[in-house]
Amino acid sequence: MSAAAAASGTYTPAAEAGGKRREKREELRRHLAEDADWPRADGRSIHDCRPAFMQTGPTTAASGSAYAEFGKTKVIVSVFGPRESKKAMLYSDTGRLNCSVSYTTFATGIRGQGLENKEYSGMLHKALEGAVMLHTFPKTTVDVFALVLESGGSDLPIIISCASLALADAGIMMYDLVTSVSVSCLGKNVIIDPTSDEEAWQDGGLMVSYMPTRREITQLTLTGEWSDGKITNAVELCMDACGKLCEILRERLKDTAVLESE
Amino acid sequence: MRDLHLPLNQTQRVRLEAALHELQTLAPAAASAAAVTVADTIPVNHEDNILKGHGTTDQDGEVVATLCGVVERVNKLVYVRTLRARYKPEVGDIIVGRVIEIAPKRWRLEINFSQDAVLMLSSMNLPDGIQRRRTAVDELNMRSIFEENDVVCAEVRGFQHDGSLHLQARSQKYGKLKRGQLLTVPPYLVKRRKQHFHHLEQYDVDLILGCNGFIWVGEHVVVNEITTFNEDQEKLSAEVETFTPMETRKHICRLANAARVLSALGFTLTIELIIQTAEASLSSNVKINDMLGAEFYVQTAETEAKRRADLLGRKKGGAR
Repeated sequence: MSAAAAASGTYTPAAEAGGKRREKREELRRHLAEDADWPRADGRSIHDCRPAFMQTGPTTAASGSAYAEFGKTKVIVSVFGPRESKKAMLYSDTGRLNCSVSYTTFATGIRGQGLENKEYSGMLHKALEGAVMLHTFPKTTVDVFALVLESGGSDLPIIISCASLALADAGIMMYDLVTSVSVSCLGKNVIIDPTSDEEAWQDGGLMVSYMPTRREITQLTLTGEWSDGKITNAVELCMDACGKLCEILRERLKDTAVLESE
Repeated sequence: MRDLHLPLNQTQRVRLEAALHELQTLAPAAASAAAVTVADTIPVNHEDNILKGHGTTDQDGEVVATLCGVVERVNKLVYVRTLRARYKPEVGDIIVGRVIEIAPKRWRLEINFSQDAVLMLSSMNLPDGIQRRRTAVDELNMRSIFEENDVVCAEVRGFQHDGSLHLQARSQKYGKLKRGQLLTVPPYLVKRRKQHFHHLEQYDVDLILGCNGFIWVGEHVVVNEITTFNEDQEKLSAEVETFTPMETRKHICRLANAARVLSALGFTLTIELIIQTAEASLSSNVKINDMLGAEFYVQTAETEAKRRADLLGRKKGGAR
């Protein structure tokens, strides 16, 4: 009897399939209700960022490229150019910066769900255009293509940081490196570098793109519900995190510079 | 260096690392100290009024880098030399490019610069070799000189006011390149020299090191200063019959692979080094297709490390 059952290949799924994830969400919801400080799903405290892994040069065909991995979020950015503008042959004194963000079909848990982030391309452009010295390459275009391999929360800030690393790698003149960090407001807490689950539950979000050496903010996006006092703190928190992230970027660039200057 | 993805075995990895480490220790310490990244301040002495060059900007009275690379100082001029940026032309550079478009009275060439270069019909020698005004007929026959996707060798003539680049090809040594291979390497690996055209007699091969990082390895062509158009036509039919001999083809491939190995390892490409590498592959019986294998890379790195060490040793010996 048992042999026959094995041969027919029937199997019973575990009743608690997907339960673990549901449990985590449930836990987050409970914590929110209690309004208490809680350990985050990946074991960080609320002011801990995910470990950042960044690397230059994954795409050999591009002028410059960078790969970033922050926890589950994995992003690859390729920079092409400066090259002759194909679209507009009209004369322009300044160069053009062309940004495009796309998601792989397998980036999110549900297939094809991340594809609606259309506004990311425009936001990436706005964050970078203040840092790139566009007047140094008249009549030409720099193309920045970002591909999100896996979306694990805080996608846009990671894309921006990764793109500025790729631009520096491509040898494009910039005033400073742009780094970007986002925070989420959950209940009374402000948590930094949120994951997708946390972003889904947030009351409000804040993203700051910052040039640490120049002390200039290139972009600030505020969404949702915030109270006065928290915003100031949150912006300062982001700026500090940006400064620290910038150090990692510089180290990466210095490594490659030393390696190639031999 | 970064494009190097080799299937190394254990011993090869150890040997390559040793050779690279050797090279790193040989490199002057100043080189690594002068590396800057975007927004780093460049230390300068403000008393002697310095000139800020390429890749630098002024911020609150400090000189700040806007590029990643190595700081170079020439007298008062301070600039940043980038390592991976596109080619930056200078007047008189010899370049190799590819025709991408034929426009009225001009060809557009892709030369790895941020813009396409322009080769005017009026700034090149016509095939008949006579100096005269260019007529409308010449303009219609432009495609018989260069077609799209032809590889062309030319010289940088100058910049227009809007930053676009003009080329010239006023000698028989410039012009269309055929029967050979075009390699693209990072432009910083080709240094400006007196001589960029090389005829390697022992191989019957021409080698052109374009300043823009395009390298041409092809069969040697005999340069005739005066060739009439009719002769050219005759030559064409004769050429079809006389194909490039097998031996020359092999030499072309071997030299091209030598250049590929050297550029992948990040060594400056000089004619001597390319020949040496090709000779080394011949003497150690490495097949042409095995030259791009891991073993030959390691071997080349080791040879170069040894050569530089010897050079340094001799210099020190001379100083004493």
